[in-house]
Amino acid sequence: MKFLAGTMAVLGLAAAMIGFVCFRMNSDPALHVAAAKGDTMLWLRTDFHLTEAQFVAIRQLHEAYAGSCEEHCRMIQEAIRARNAVAAARGDAVALAAADRQVEQLRLVCETAITRHVRQVAALMVPADGQRYLALVLPKIADFDHLAAPGLNLDRTR
Amino acid sequence: MNSSLDPLAEALGRWRVSPPVDADFRQAVWRRVGQRTSQTWPGYLRSHATAWSLVTLVALGAAAFSGSALARARVRADRDAMVVNYLVDLDPRVQAVLKH
Repeated sequence: MKFLAGTMAVLGLAAAMIGFVCFRMNSDPALHVAAAKGDTMLWLRTDFHLTEAQFVAIRQLHEAYAGSCEEHCRMIQEAIRARNAVAAARGDAVALAAADRQVEQLRLVCETAITRHVRQVAALMVPADGQRYLALVLPKIADFDHLAAPGLNLDRTR
Repeated sequence: MNSSLDPLAEALGRWRVSPPVDADFRQAVWRRVGQRTSQTWPGYLRSHATAWSLVTLVALGAAAFSGSALARARVRADRDAMVVNYLVDLDPRVQAVLKH
């Protein structure tokens, strides 16, 4: 009986060690640190193996894009406000459809701009990492609705 | 007493068991007890080699798979969270609705 218990204890210990080693071998501590901090630039740097020069160039690209991003954001907000005002009036269906089209058009312009931007970012990376980056972000840009966590109230039909 | 059982009682009364005497019985029992108490751990493992080999293989395989799967799931979750954070920072459509 004592040999049975002893053998099971040794086996359990060995299994725990093997499990831990396999966990460490397959995990990415740098990515986890970036995720824990919510630091997207650190994530870009570690997950896509950026050199210092690539990192600086991408940061500059992001900063340059931030201006047009804010402008797009403002235009979309205004269009949403205008559309909501028309909807609240509950009157002109044609005007509401036009306001909806305006919002959609601005979103499309924005989608085109952000897609162009991420392609520029990818072009600064090593080709394999750039492809992986695009494979991660492009589907989410196209599938904008799914970006929002439940409860954030990001329903585009509002 | 029931008289119908009398023949059976008589037969049982006549029955005598006379097993052959095993002179080595007592020594054999003590020999087996001695073997048990003097067994070593390697000896125990050798005598159950097949079963323990199988259990070891399954346990270590399961541990390796679980460790790897857990790590991969965490990497996937971290990366998904970062992509969403990144695009929320970058995407005016998300920002417009969040600010609205």
